[in-house]
Amino acid sequence: MNTVLSRANSLFAFSLSVMAALTFGCFVTTAFKDRRVPVDIHVSKVMLKNVDDFTGPRERSDLGFLTFDLSQRPPVGQLLVVPIFDWNVKQLFLYLSAEYATRSNALNQVVLWDKIVLRGENTKLSLRDVKSKYFFFDDGNGLRANKNITLTLSWNVVPNAGILPLVAGSGHVSLPFPESYETTKSY
Amino acid sequence: MLSIFKSIPSHMDYKGQKLAEQIFQGIILISAVIGFVYGLIIEQFGWTVYIVLAGFVLSCVLTLPPWPMYRQNPLSWQPIIPETSAEPSQKPQEALKKKKHK
Repeated sequence: MNTVLSRANSLFAFSLSVMAALTFGCFVTTAFKDRRVPVDIHVSKVMLKNVDDFTGPRERSDLGFLTFDLSQRPPVGQLLVVPIFDWNVKQLFLYLSAEYATRSNALNQVVLWDKIVLRGENTKLSLRDVKSKYFFFDDGNGLRANKNITLTLSWNVVPNAGILPLVAGSGHVSLPFPESYETTKSY
Repeated sequence: MLSIFKSIPSHMDYKGQKLAEQIFQGIILISAVIGFVYGLIIEQFGWTVYIVLAGFVLSCVLTLPPWPMYRQNPLSWQPIIPETSAEPSQKPQEALKKKKHK
């Protein structure tokens, strides 16, 4: 503690240790919070096509197109309000995935749509008539006349400090797919 | 250029060093507590960091330069004895060196 440099060194090191303790405190205050929000998924339109899939080994595979709405379960004017931003949340990553079974595979999971919600942006999202963002290809022809396809909205909470919880299945809906190709089925 | 920095006197005496250390630890801890509570209330961790940073800057200003309050208890050195006879002071050191070699 004799020269300016050694004083500066101990001052800086002390500040960093205190900052680390504060970050740990920030993590502890929000570590055990329940981050589930009940969400309603409503699918308005499904169309099925059988097209050439150049990324797979087969000649033609099933391709699905969905249009859906997302809203909050106690219906709050059809908007998706996200009240889970607290001081430890940096951004949210929402994604909608479809799960189904076919003859060749017991379980298929495909991500259809995702969205990143940053902190400070508008947290009331209007998600009506949203089209699927990614191709809903099946490995073969398993989508046609499939009785049960389950859509689930999950999200990832990206924190400032701590664990990244993956909250699965805030709400899900199961629906059958159309029997033939090139026909639009409305729900 | 470094010689200019080294020529500026920046020493403090021992009680001054203890006082400086207590001051900066206290300032940073207090600003950490204030920052934590404020950030928790307004739900933004960025403000906590800014408040701790402000406490850091304040304690830099208060404790890094050698203010006169850190020089209140200077050590009282003995007065310098002028070196009149050089040889008698060197001989006992040589005798000590020989004993150590054995």
